[in-house]
Amino acid sequence: MNPKSPTRRLITAGFADLEKSARLLQAPELNGLEASRLFESLALSADPDQALLLLVRLLEKSPELAGLVNSGPDASEPLFRLLGASEALGEFLISHPENLDVLRAKVSPEPTGTSTEALRVSLLKAVRADPGQLMPVAAEVGQDAYQALRAQYRRHLTELAIRDLCAASPQDFFPIAARELADLAAAALDAALAVSRAELASHHDPDEIADIRLAVIGMGKCGAGELNYISDVDVIYVIDSDDAEDAKAATIGTALATGISRAISSAASEPGLWEVDANLRPEGREGPLVRTVESHLNYYQRWAKSWEFQALLKARPIAGDMELGRRYEQALSPLIWSSSEREGFVESVQSMRRRVTEHIPAQEQGRQIKLGSGGLRDVEFTVQLLQLVHAKADESLRCRDTTSAIAALSEAGYIGRSDAREFDAVYRYLRVLEHRIQLVHLRRTHLMPQSEAARRALARGMLGALTASRPSAESLMASWQRTKRSVRTLYERIFYRPVLATAAHLSAEDVALSPAAAGARLAALGYMDPKGALRHIQSLTAGISRRAALQRQLLPVLLGWLADGVDPDAGLLGFRRISEALGTSPWYLGMLRDSNAAAERLCHILSSSRFITDLLEVSPEAVKWLGSDDGLTVRSFDAQWEEIRAKMRRSHDSAGAIRLIRLIRRREILRIAIADSSGLLDQDTVGQALADADRAAILGALHAAEEQVFESAGKLTSMLIVAMGRQGGREIGYGSDADVLFVHRGLEGVPKEAAQKQAEQIVTLTTSLLKQPCKPPILAERVLDVDASLRPEGKQGPLVRSFDSYREYYTRWSQVWEAQALLRARPIAGDDALAEDFIALIDPVRYPAQVSAGEQREIRRIKARVEAERLPRGADPARQLKLGRGGLSDVEWLVQLLQLENAYSVRALRTTSTVEATNAAVEADLLPADEAQTLLESWQLASRIRSANVIWSGRASDLLPSARQDLEAVARWCGYEAGMAADIEEDYLRLTRRARGIFENHFFEQ
Amino acid sequence: MNRQQEFVLRTIEERDVRFVRLWFTDVVGSLKSVALAPAEVEGAFSEGLGFDGSSIEGLSRVFESDMLVQPDPSTFQILPWRGETEETSRMFCDILTPDGMPAAADTRNVLKRTLAKAADMGFTCYTHPEIEFYLLKSDKLGADGFPEPVDEAGYFDHVPGGVAQDFRRTAVSMLEAVGISVEFSHHEAGPGQNEIDLRYADALQTADNVMTFRTVVKEVALTQDSYATFMPKPFSHHPGSGMHTHFSLFEGDTNAFFEAGTEFQLSKTARQFIAGWLKHAPEFTAVTNQFVNSYKRLWGGGEAPSYLSWGHNNRSALVRVPLYKPGKGQSARVEYRGIDSAANPYLAYAVLLGAGLKGIEEGYELPDAVEEDVWSLSTAERRAMGHDPLPSSLHDAIRILEESELMAEILGEQVFEHFLRNKRDEWHDYRLEVTPHELKRNLGVL
Repeated sequence: MNPKSPTRRLITAGFADLEKSARLLQAPELNGLEASRLFESLALSADPDQALLLLVRLLEKSPELAGLVNSGPDASEPLFRLLGASEALGEFLISHPENLDVLRAKVSPEPTGTSTEALRVSLLKAVRADPGQLMPVAAEVGQDAYQALRAQYRRHLTELAIRDLCAASPQDFFPIAARELADLAAAALDAALAVSRAELASHHDPDEIADIRLAVIGMGKCGAGELNYISDVDVIYVIDSDDAEDAKAATIGTALATGISRAISSAASEPGLWEVDANLRPEGREGPLVRTVESHLNYYQRWAKSWEFQALLKARPIAGDMELGRRYEQALSPLIWSSSEREGFVESVQSMRRRVTEHIPAQEQGRQIKLGSGGLRDVEFTVQLLQLVHAKADESLRCRDTTSAIAALSEAGYIGRSDAREFDAVYRYLRVLEHRIQLVHLRRTHLMPQSEAARRALARGMLGALTASRPSAESLMASWQRTKRSVRTLYERIFYRPVLATAAHLSAEDVALSPAAAGARLAALGYMDPKGALRHIQSLTAGISRRAALQRQLLPVLLGWLADGVDPDAGLLGFRRISEALGTSPWYLGMLRDSNAAAERLCHILSSSRFITDLLEVSPEAVKWLGSDDGLTVRSFDAQWEEIRAKMRRSHDSAGAIRLIRLIRRREILRIAIADSSGLLDQDTVGQALADADRAAILGALHAAEEQVFESAGKLTSMLIVAMGRQGGREIGYGSDADVLFVHRGLEGVPKEAAQKQAEQIVTLTTSLLKQPCKPPILAERVLDVDASLRPEGKQGPLVRSFDSYREYYTRWSQVWEAQALLRARPIAGDDALAEDFIALIDPVRYPAQVSAGEQREIRRIKARVEAERLPRGADPARQLKLGRGGLSDVEWLVQLLQLENAYSVRALRTTSTVEATNAAVEADLLPADEAQTLLESWQLASRIRSANVIWSGRASDLLPSARQDLEAVARWCGYEAGMAADIEEDYLRLTRRARGIFENHFFEQ
Repeated sequence: MNRQQEFVLRTIEERDVRFVRLWFTDVVGSLKSVALAPAEVEGAFSEGLGFDGSSIEGLSRVFESDMLVQPDPSTFQILPWRGETEETSRMFCDILTPDGMPAAADTRNVLKRTLAKAADMGFTCYTHPEIEFYLLKSDKLGADGFPEPVDEAGYFDHVPGGVAQDFRRTAVSMLEAVGISVEFSHHEAGPGQNEIDLRYADALQTADNVMTFRTVVKEVALTQDSYATFMPKPFSHHPGSGMHTHFSLFEGDTNAFFEAGTEFQLSKTARQFIAGWLKHAPEFTAVTNQFVNSYKRLWGGGEAPSYLSWGHNNRSALVRVPLYKPGKGQSARVEYRGIDSAANPYLAYAVLLGAGLKGIEEGYELPDAVEEDVWSLSTAERRAMGHDPLPSSLHDAIRILEESELMAEILGEQVFEHFLRNKRDEWHDYRLEVTPHELKRNLGVL
């Protein structure tokens, strides 16, 4: 070795804290060591700082270890690898020097496992029980026994860790290590049972105890034979007895089981090993701790839920009476594999899948190895799901541990070879990562350590013993991220790609899924009509076109996204249609290929909105917007109007112009709906944007109509269209009508009758332009219905009045309900000067200095009459969004009453917006803030549900849906998580009940 | 098809059962029944049986009347009173929406939901009802315009050769035959009044049992040419019929109400549970006492509790903590004395359990136990001690229920609404009646 500065030497050896380690190196305990040997050996440890500190403390207790260090890295490799990887096991050796001989083990780059039997014998002997007996009984009891058992367990754990750490490929060794950990846990349980039998002798007749056979069934990772270094061990207990009566057998069996737990984990001078967790047993915590085979069987046949069968997938007899354990296994195994036929299987799969990918707590974000998308559980879920779907028909898949299951799935052709290889590799990578992290403190954690030094040590520990390099912390994070990405896409690839291959009759790789098996997979994921789905897939992927080729690539992922929606079947059909309409446009394929976000949005929309799907089908170019948030930016009214004006200049007649105008409106509504569904808009913005789109169309139609009418007769009058109702408040939903008033004012010198006649012509033409069929037809358009029934005298009054006539009417005749309607009047199209004058005319009407008691009474009476008369007969008012209990109309009427009464003095109340008016009422102390909040929440939820009805079904409805699928779709649109249909129903009913209470208090009782 | 369903089908075959009655309960607690031919049972298990829910009180809205009933095979029972030759059986049903989800308006489901909530908190709930009823000569009124009891005996009276005794013997053996354990039966204070106490069982099973019990008692009475009524207060001058119910909560296999060495051996959990009852009793009285007539029982004296109070073995209190028997920690329980015999047991148990759980959740403080006879206190004394009255009429009870967020939560918005609507209608109808009382008092003098 070249002479180096001490600091360089420390860095080369991989030390992190140079100052501290330099100080440690001066420790007297190290005096007898050869420095170069020490450094060579320290370089072997993943964390030299930790290894050095532990070494000093070890030498203090056991100076004879110096010889081992001095004999060079070949001999001292076990010592240094162990100390560098596990502080906890280092501490164990410090406090139990009698076990130091494990360090002298001969290491191998390809280590083998210790046999199950050898471990069992060793641990039984530790408590002085005879392994040869059918029912071994320990000679030790109490603290002595616990101590002996636990120390012996940890000795074996240390031995295993050394072999693991010295292996050339930890990934190759992983299944052996995981299996041995499970066997070691099983051996500990056997020894604990022997202790428990011995301890029980002080309470019960030994013959009675001997009569009770007890088997321990391993569940979870222990049952699967793929345990972690430290983990709760899941078990189930089975008892049997020849002579004892049931109650007696249960008492003794329970005592035996409790004794096992005590021996393993109760407080003692040698700390407990792990929790023995029996909560997976029938009835969970509530159920008896031990049962007979018959009682277990009985439970699973009668009561067990879907997930409990999935838990049985891992069940394996591991300790106690193995003959009894096998009897249990044989009795229950037929039940496991038929679970995919059980009711609720699809729901349970979906909720499992949600649990897998659900949100990780913020403080663990970016550090979780087990949970979340791309985590270990994601891999395990995919494997188990494939087993559950296919193993009923194919017994070769019935294995418990993940690595064997992957191999079996690949062998039988359910996963492609290369996918299986990758799957296996990422799984092992993640598990070794988990092992290495847990080994440090023997703590049950699934989090990536935070400190740079710990990550560097981990990076080193992930490599095999033959690799000398010291990778950086960043490289570890990078390789972990790569693995996570790979896991995320594997789920879709492995699950759906073979389905595709079957549907398209491709001989893809070596996967061969029968159509029935492919259908079973689709059904398990929520496709109601797997045959239809296979047909669509076939049509999408058949042929040699570029489109088909690309779709073969993409569909596995898309199918997964579609399955997350409310109606996967409709989504797939929609996708097929759009794809057929767009298939040859190069940007479409490019976007799907390059933009994950766009493709995911598209799938989400297609499987949850009939309204948008219909629109997309006739204007597929809009799919382009999905690729960028720019395309989904709502266009301002001015921008729309500018475009309309440009179009009108170029068109020859009103018919041509109006078609373009209506196309623009259809396009903008689609844009808003997509932006809305992508979560880019809040609810107020949606209402305003839709109102603007309608306004632009009305303005365009008015101009077109005027142009046509003026052409023949010249201009005789100026027009004004005033929006009323929700359009006036810019609070409309998808598919709302436009409530309006028409106003005109004849030009100077034009006879009244002539002006009125021309105004009527213009109004009639404007409304019909917006409504009449066009050529060629505008498909999927929701025609804008202009409704003037809020005009003076209602349907009896003239459709359009002159300004003078309005003035006369409002000063002489006006009813209080008309003043109320005017609260939301907002000029939207026509002559600016007229608009100004009209506002000046109506302001005193709608913001009166005083509302008489009689007028107040009249408003209440009208509201009461509307409630009594306008609701459909027999309808449940609680589910009527508009006129029902606590619905839109209750909130609006209350706010409008407050406006009428107070807007004269409180200027902030002079607004057409319900939200603004409500907030202003709170400011002015007219409404308590909490009540206003309830009212607005109710109003907003009702508006949102109304929109959701249109979006989901394509049809307007003022009802809270009651069919479950409709409700589910509406709930999702309103921001609820999947599966929460019942919640939105309950929330809506509760919110509106409260809103109605508030409404009644303020509106009817003053 | 699971084992229990198989068991039902096999029994139908073996015992040559000719009719299978599917039972469910409307919102006021009337038993509804639909008969199936044995051949249809298998289909009912797998797909449920469609029916028009709108014709059942409080079940669904008129415009979406399709509902399903799905029999619960664990409740299968041969009905003994239908004779041995053509055996008839029954199963209780869950009510489902057409897409197979539990119907929010199913009152059995309300109790199931509340029990699930208790389970989430780690509790199982057991109940033990004492059901009173009158045995009358017939359902027609006597010559004096009043119902006619079968005897004139009193509390615990032994009536030699009496109709009632014979009746109780037959009823008890028939109850045992349908799998309902009877703890106790005796003659009650009123003429023709009887009490039968059922063995404790988990709350859902008890509620099913109460429904069966009422049917069995009525059937047995018919066979003996008499008529049994669960009407809360059929006689102005005799005690009404209540359904005192004992509640206990278990955590695993320990009684969560028991704690050695405390006042009355009551655990903190039990004290909070009782406090929940006392605080919310006015809100749920409309459920436990749901008829106009119920309030004549509550306010008609004769041991009926009318004030918010609890006591140890105090028969005037609304909530009673029974005398503790040494060494019987597992039987610690608390008794609510307000429920009518004619309550919907699913809803009554759901609101009581829900209110008690609320007390535990929020850690309510329990006021002092009352030692004196609450009825003998003056109004001012009661007010001073915090013994507020229960609602005095169905109308009052409805008004308080309407304002209760807790009840809306326990019942679910839909049952809450259906129930209120039904009760408002009842009160409305009552107000239109001119009663004999008015005629007697006013006609002669005005």
